[in-house]
Amino acid sequence: MNVFISGAAGGLGRAMAAECARRGYRLFLTDRDSAGLEALQKGLERQFGAITVVYACDLTDPGSVDAMLAYVDGSRIRFDMLLNVAGVDFEGGFMHRDRERMVEIVSLNDGATLRITHAVLERRREVRPFTAVFVSSLACMFPMPLKAAYAASKRFLLDFAAALRQELKDEGVNVLVLCPGGMVTKKDTLAAIRAQGFWGEVTTNPLERVARRTLDRALAGKGTYIPGGVNKVLSGLGRCLPRPWVAAAIYGRWTRAQKKWLGA
Amino acid sequence: MRTVVITGATSGIGLEIAKLLAKQGFRVLGVGRDWDRCQRALEIVTRVSAPGRAEFFAADLLQQREIIRLAEELGETLRVTAEGELFALINNAGCARGWYMTTEDGYEQQFALNFLAGFSLTYRLLPQLKKANGRVIMTGSKSHNGIGVHWNDVMLSRRYNPLTAYKQSKLCCLLFARGLNDRYAHQGIRAYAVDPGLVRTDIGNKDTGGLVNLVWTLRKRGGASPEIPARTFLYLCQAEPAPEGLNYFRCRERGYSRQVTSANADRLFALGERLCGVQYDKRAEA
Repeated sequence: MNVFISGAAGGLGRAMAAECARRGYRLFLTDRDSAGLEALQKGLERQFGAITVVYACDLTDPGSVDAMLAYVDGSRIRFDMLLNVAGVDFEGGFMHRDRERMVEIVSLNDGATLRITHAVLERRREVRPFTAVFVSSLACMFPMPLKAAYAASKRFLLDFAAALRQELKDEGVNVLVLCPGGMVTKKDTLAAIRAQGFWGEVTTNPLERVARRTLDRALAGKGTYIPGGVNKVLSGLGRCLPRPWVAAAIYGRWTRAQKKWLGA
Repeated sequence: MRTVVITGATSGIGLEIAKLLAKQGFRVLGVGRDWDRCQRALEIVTRVSAPGRAEFFAADLLQQREIIRLAEELGETLRVTAEGELFALINNAGCARGWYMTTEDGYEQQFALNFLAGFSLTYRLLPQLKKANGRVIMTGSKSHNGIGVHWNDVMLSRRYNPLTAYKQSKLCCLLFARGLNDRYAHQGIRAYAVDPGLVRTDIGNKDTGGLVNLVWTLRKRGGASPEIPARTFLYLCQAEPAPEGLNYFRCRERGYSRQVTSANADRLFALGERLCGVQYDKRAEA
């Protein structure tokens, strides 16, 4: 099984890559962080004897992606699975953040994900079944003040994945969208989760378990994975409560949490 | 003047060891993750000892490539200031985690820092240790008891339990010391583990999160001051001839888990060598 992972050098990407390597899959890993990619490649080879190719690439830059695809084609690699993990968030009020940062959220989370998905689907191995995973977020279930662009960009992935799943159903392609709560991927996220207090703790998902179950479910043909009971209930509420109420409630909670976290 | 390297030397037990050893006339090369904290620790150690007695190096020992860079810097400093001799390497840096978190290499963090960092750094400083008939001291823990190494899933990614990961990493420290003695005692190197006991430090409050943070905040109240375990490290650096035991608590030998066998140590060496990309028995002289 040949697996393409974007954002592989980040916390979730590393956990996904390790889970794939443990299962004996061959990996093609990309990320902006080339030093991180090299370290991970070495680590996966040493830990699992995994066959791993890494290619540092800025997915928001079409030229950079073209160069990577030329490399893929030159090496005649074809894929059986795509894990779209790359994504960013710059938390805070829309008008309190830099303009280009806000645009970057959409250009990476959505634009680059479309670019890579299209490219990798074109390079899928023929006849064999294919699996595509989109990493959305619990945030995609709600309009989220102070994370407005991020939540909306993840909503895009939720709807896109559902539609693409239908389109490619008869071609042996399964599409799964993952909507996790917080995950402790680095020190910053830990501080952010702590600042949210009780709700931060109960919506947090263990990284290693999410990685494992995402692969299990995607391979079993499932379409959506919301890890954790509390998160399932919250996303249900998000669907049935009036959206202005949801936005107001979230605004109150995040204002308090961000004050604590960012000390603003 | 005898030179010692101490990792995790900017706070907690490591800082107390650095202060005590510098006061007693050792030259201290301290290692910390954060440059500012290194500077602050340098001031503290210099204030209680003498100017020039200590030097600090910033490195994130969670990452293998940082360990390689650090070892090169330490090697150069030892060459220039200590004729390439390292009298003691104190692998003290450690962490506790409340969640499964990985290093850049994709290794579980408690395993990577508490054991693997020391394993890798010791390998790289082996020539300098041999030259001085040096000693290697691991900061162990009583919690290494009652557990075996999960050989099939040493990163515990199947079912992560933070405390299990901590206990296992400390068991590995004892196994490592055992394995070092098996290999190098006849060449003059001695390795030890120090059980610090329950100590009032912030280990359980740094980047842990959730339950671990809360439990540690309550638990450490009953702990001893970090100066107390530091004395055991001093004892193991000063005693002549080198003590013969493996595990020490308050300057005396203490028993340890039945899991600490040469066979398990060999197995751990093989695993550590694979994960660090090194081979102890092929280590060339510097």
